[in-house]
Amino acid sequence: MQSNNVAATIRQTLASGREKTSPYVPIAKRYGRSTASWVFHYLMLFGLAFVFIYPMLYLISKSLMQSSDLSDASVQWIPKALDFSNFKYAWEALDYLPKFKNSIITSLVPALVQIASCAFIGYGFARYRFPGYMLLLGFLLFTFLVPPQTIILPLYIFYSDLHWMNTYFPFVIPAVFGHGLRGALFVMIFLQFFRGLPGQLEEAARIDGAGALRTFWSIMFPLARPAMLVVFLFSLVWHWNDTFEPSLFTTIADKFNLMQNLKVMDGQTQLQLQNGTAGVTGDLTGFVPTFANRVMAGSLLTILPMLILYLFTQRYFVESVERAGIAGE
Amino acid sequence: MKKGMSMRTRHYLEGYMFTLPWVIGFLAFMAVPLARSLYFSLNKLEIKTAGLQAHYIGLENFRKAFTVDVEFTPKLIGTVSGLIFNVPLILIFAMFTALLLNRSFKGRMIFRGIFFLPVIIASGTVLTKLREDGAANLPIFQQYDLASTLSTIMPMELARPLLGILESLSLSMWDSGVQILIFLAGLQSISTHLYEAAKVDGATPWEIFWKVTFPMITPMILVNTLFSIVNSFTKAGNPIMDYIMDVLFKDNDFGYGAALGWIYFLVSFVIIGIVLYLFRKSLRERG
Repeated sequence: MQSNNVAATIRQTLASGREKTSPYVPIAKRYGRSTASWVFHYLMLFGLAFVFIYPMLYLISKSLMQSSDLSDASVQWIPKALDFSNFKYAWEALDYLPKFKNSIITSLVPALVQIASCAFIGYGFARYRFPGYMLLLGFLLFTFLVPPQTIILPLYIFYSDLHWMNTYFPFVIPAVFGHGLRGALFVMIFLQFFRGLPGQLEEAARIDGAGALRTFWSIMFPLARPAMLVVFLFSLVWHWNDTFEPSLFTTIADKFNLMQNLKVMDGQTQLQLQNGTAGVTGDLTGFVPTFANRVMAGSLLTILPMLILYLFTQRYFVESVERAGIAGE
Repeated sequence: MKKGMSMRTRHYLEGYMFTLPWVIGFLAFMAVPLARSLYFSLNKLEIKTAGLQAHYIGLENFRKAFTVDVEFTPKLIGTVSGLIFNVPLILIFAMFTALLLNRSFKGRMIFRGIFFLPVIIASGTVLTKLREDGAANLPIFQQYDLASTLSTIMPMELARPLLGILESLSLSMWDSGVQILIFLAGLQSISTHLYEAAKVDGATPWEIFWKVTFPMITPMILVNTLFSIVNSFTKAGNPIMDYIMDVLFKDNDFGYGAALGWIYFLVSFVIIGIVLYLFRKSLRERG
């Protein structure tokens, strides 16, 4: 019964909060924009959208070309013949499925762990004031600012001593403590989010006799869904795309992830070209052979899982960012 | 909880409980490594059978970076000057895009999807590959031969960095995905009452932007500036980053690599200090 009351209070408070900052009020309508203004608006949008999509189109177009198309000046965007052999080559060269599995482990697990740990810590920073609070907050900002290269050598030695090399620990354990890849930023996102929630929620729960931990896990944590989605996507994607830490802590080819193998593949194709073993050679017209098409196909395959994920979550993601208030107060 | 414990003590303890994991992590993965790398930077390290052997050599490594090493200083200057050009560019572009997206119009969701695409892809190896392959050069610039046009109307010293920016324009735009998000979230949080009040008082859209929108999103400008700086200091393909990694793991010159890391860190800290100083007024107003 009591918990029902709490839930009702929460719903009410949230609903009233939402009304106040109800988004998407069509300001334009009230202002009565002119047609010229709209034409300008759409022109700018299409122009900018083109710039944003351009490298993506480039990736797709090049990856579908044969090597002869790359050197053919008459071929700009549309390949002469549709050719998927680059993808076949890249799929095999990347050793796709096993490496996909490694990528998933080194990005999905830290991302999920970071959601839990950073929410927990961010809540502490948002709702409690204690001696040393400002100092810790300063350390949090400090951690965000230190370039990873500065501390990479001691970390490397530390992890070697712990026998963490070629395991998944270097990616997961720091995340447990709210660190790891951009952990400080994620703590700050949760901090901002929890600060924005009304305090009555916890008061109601505490009056009902819930302890601090229970209040957090059963009431505040579930409310943080928008912040969670933002942190999850950022963390997942950044871990997925990161080669800095994996290249140091993972040295056995078996344990490589997709991004690492993309680098390897890139190196291999360049080596093949230098040795002339690639079956493509330069000619007298000054054409320098490249395997850009294969590397582009590999790149596309590597980011494909993230693209698909984004396609499905994009809508919620954008809304969440607006609601999570990652922008500060 | 014990009965005798005062409300205040209990509040403190709970606060420590929530932040304790982070403090442990901070010690293990930040403070201790940072101190060790400072220690390394003041020593000459050699790998012996008994492990790492350190000889104290004072600031020798730091001196070497600026006097003996011919590669480091130009790379550092290049990175910092790139930052000074790129960050304002990213900020202006992100703000402009966020303003465009903040209006309600048909196809808003699709456009948003496109503009946030870079957040998903624009990091790491793929981007580096695209840059190497020349995908950053928009065809517009080649067609109109912008390079020669620019060099005729302005001195070469000015034209060259400008051309550098234009060449990587689309890629620096791709770097601004997160910043667009932050600006947009900020714009969404501005109450419509403010706009209505301004409109009633007869303000033009131009005035509304400078008197309402801009002051309201100043905090977001600070957040974005900091984020852009940190991002460009740590993103893949940063020449300094690659250089430090080479010194550390190819040359195995640990002491020197640690010193370079510290110089890099101090430089970024000074730059961030300058930014905070410039924003001190708006910080003070927020309290």
